Amino acid sequence: MSSITIETAPHAPSPGPARTSLFAKLTNVLAYPGDVFAEVASAPPRLRNIFIPTLLVGVAGVLSAGAIGGDDPAAAAVAATGTAAAQVVIAARLRLLSALVTVLAVFIGTGWSALVLWGIGRVFLKVRFSYWKAVEVMALTGGIVIFGTVFAALLGILTDDANARPALSLLVGRLPADHAVRVAFGVFNLFHVWATAVLAIGLSKLSGVSFKESAFWVFGYWLLMKLALVVLA
Amino acid sequence: MNRALLYLWWTLLRRRCSRFCRGLRRPPTLIACLWVLGIVGCLFYYRGSEAFGRMIRRDVLVGGILIMILGSIIKGFLQRGLAFESPDIEFVFTSPFTQRQILLYRLLPQYLYAAIQGIVFGALFAPHLRHPVLAAVCVTLFQVACFHLAMAAAVWGGAVSDRLHYRLRWMMLGTSFVLTALYFRVAWEVDFVPACLRSPLVQLAFYPAMTPSDVTTSAWLRGWLAGLARTGDVSAPTFLEPVLWLAGFGLAAALSLWWLLRLKASVFEPALSTTTRRAEARLRAIQGRPGVAAVARARSARLPRFPLFQGVGALVWRNLMAVRRSRKDLLAAFAFVGIYSTMLIALLWKFHQYVARAPMTPGSDAPEVSLSFHLGVAIFIAALAFFLQRLFPFDFRRDGNHVVGFRTLPVSPLAMVLAEVSVPTFLVLVSQAVGLVPLLIFGRFPWPLLLPLLLSYPAIALALNSLWNLHYLLTAARQAEAASPVGTLMVVVFSFLVFFPAIWTAQRLCHFLSGPQALPLAISTGLAIQIGIDVLMILALAGLFQRFEVSRNTRANAL
Repeated sequence: MSSITIETAPHAPSPGPARTSLFAKLTNVLAYPGDVFAEVASAPPRLRNIFIPTLLVGVAGVLSAGAIGGDDPAAAAVAATGTAAAQVVIAARLRLLSALVTVLAVFIGTGWSALVLWGIGRVFLKVRFSYWKAVEVMALTGGIVIFGTVFAALLGILTDDANARPALSLLVGRLPADHAVRVAFGVFNLFHVWATAVLAIGLSKLSGVSFKESAFWVFGYWLLMKLALVVLA
Repeated sequence: MNRALLYLWWTLLRRRCSRFCRGLRRPPTLIACLWVLGIVGCLFYYRGSEAFGRMIRRDVLVGGILIMILGSIIKGFLQRGLAFESPDIEFVFTSPFTQRQILLYRLLPQYLYAAIQGIVFGALFAPHLRHPVLAAVCVTLFQVACFHLAMAAAVWGGAVSDRLHYRLRWMMLGTSFVLTALYFRVAWEVDFVPACLRSPLVQLAFYPAMTPSDVTTSAWLRGWLAGLARTGDVSAPTFLEPVLWLAGFGLAAALSLWWLLRLKASVFEPALSTTTRRAEARLRAIQGRPGVAAVARARSARLPRFPLFQGVGALVWRNLMAVRRSRKDLLAAFAFVGIYSTMLIALLWKFHQYVARAPMTPGSDAPEVSLSFHLGVAIFIAALAFFLQRLFPFDFRRDGNHVVGFRTLPVSPLAMVLAEVSVPTFLVLVSQAVGLVPLLIFGRFPWPLLLPLLLSYPAIALALNSLWNLHYLLTAARQAEAASPVGTLMVVVFSFLVFFPAIWTAQRLCHFLSGPQALPLAISTGLAIQIGIDVLMILALAGLFQRFEVSRNTRANAL
């Protein structure tokens, strides 16, 4: 009786997620965030993936602030000083400074929030992952922020209200911008909830825990803390 | 409710009550019980006061209700399951009782507590309530409801998975914090959220749930930017300056920690030897033995020829030898005395400089002010004895191993006690003399005042020494290994109380008498009382020392 031998092919390494370009990542994060973050989790951190999206968010913020405009007492005060030529120079300086501060703030926000994400993983989920991966996730989520910023700018132009946002506050648009109800309703911003959910997916991919688990902690920080601040302030 | 469980609860309650009553024979329990009763009595006496009325305002009651509900739920949830006594587990769990009956059995003590709480509430707040009985009953029922909540949370908390429990715990913490902060905000207008957190700039903390164009809408940031655009002055706004300081020092702390954690040297081996050395030193201190270094360096000394050191005086000589060999302790003590006395001498010097510069006018109160100042310095020097007690324990405290052996010596207990307390008292007086001599030179006290003042220093030092030795002998008599923290605290409290009769009498006399001799007379009277107390304490020490049973202790040691 002849023995049957089965020859198996040598075990090939399982292929990781397909490598995509930065532009593809920024667009895919809107539709397939899980795939994007799976790729981020498996690849080493890349400075390009951090720097360019964050810069784009800053630029979008600057452009949308310029497009919406609105009442600015500081700009009005600048307009009332000196000669006409000096006013032009000062106004230009103010715009430049505002733009620089916006871009700087976006970078600071990215670093801080990545620290929060990394801290949640380390302290609450008891999982270790690189801080720079958290920064990368945070920066790539910027795709949604850019989208949201452009949307908010268009909404502002459409409604002729600089404070109009794609949030529940649209329902109480007649109230003043600093009214408690409007501020509280403003927390439920469609893009904010979307970005937070995407961050939860990013954390679950980085830490290897379920989406439910990571969503609990991420939403706990991003939405509940924000809501608590609004209610208490 | 099962009748057997009801009987069990009643029996256990009676036993606990009788045990508590028996426990009152112990002075600490009795004192604690009287203390609580005294406080309750005091509150009851002043129950008509307006403060009690304010305590049952609606705002306060809402806060109390919030705390009780949240506290009950959190306590129960953290407990994760009901906590029973070990005998309950063996008896109740194995008996044919239903779960409901066991729960009710567990609730019975809590119902009793709620009823007592309701009675106390009714008694204290009755003058401020329209329907005190109704209020007391409502408080009782509310407390009962809280107990139910706590028990339900405990039962439910024990049934959920660890992961869910962990998550819910944090959720509860967050919710409790928000609710508490909201309560304070609404009811008391206390704001936990600082004004800076209301700025749109705070959105940065919630990136990417933010709109970047909102960042620069912050009023103070816009103001600062406008100023910067106008003048080019880059000086940081006032808000940023403390933040920069904080960031700088925070960075320094973080960098130093990073450097510490990166050290490659082994931690374990040196730590082991250091820990062993420390543990041995602690054991030696507890047992009253000298340090290792002192033993190693100890050299023989010639026997004393001075007649004072013969007989029981040999103990004084022995303790003086112990002082000589405890150089490290002495150095620490004299460093402390040096710093303390230098501070007082500098104060004296400065005061006299100011007095010399100020013009003296007839009829001014400068002599009284000067006398008060010098008396204050004298009190500060006397206070040195409080600190030096622990630094000069060359008495029974260092002779822990030999106390029983001393009972075999052919000397009276009184002489033994005097010999023991003399060395630390002498050392304290020498230390005080460092500050006292300049005070006497600068102070120029009148003779009738100087004499009682000088005599009061030995009286104070002796009283404190006797008190600490009393505490030590009491602890040793109970064969406790080391003094308990409560015992030490009691000694510290008594260290002040022991002077109360003398100070009180002197104060009253000073109040009643008038003329230049009032103060010397009052201090002399106080001193006489203090000396009397010292004598009583020395006699108590002698009595306590005599109570040491040689046969019993040696037998215990042999066993």
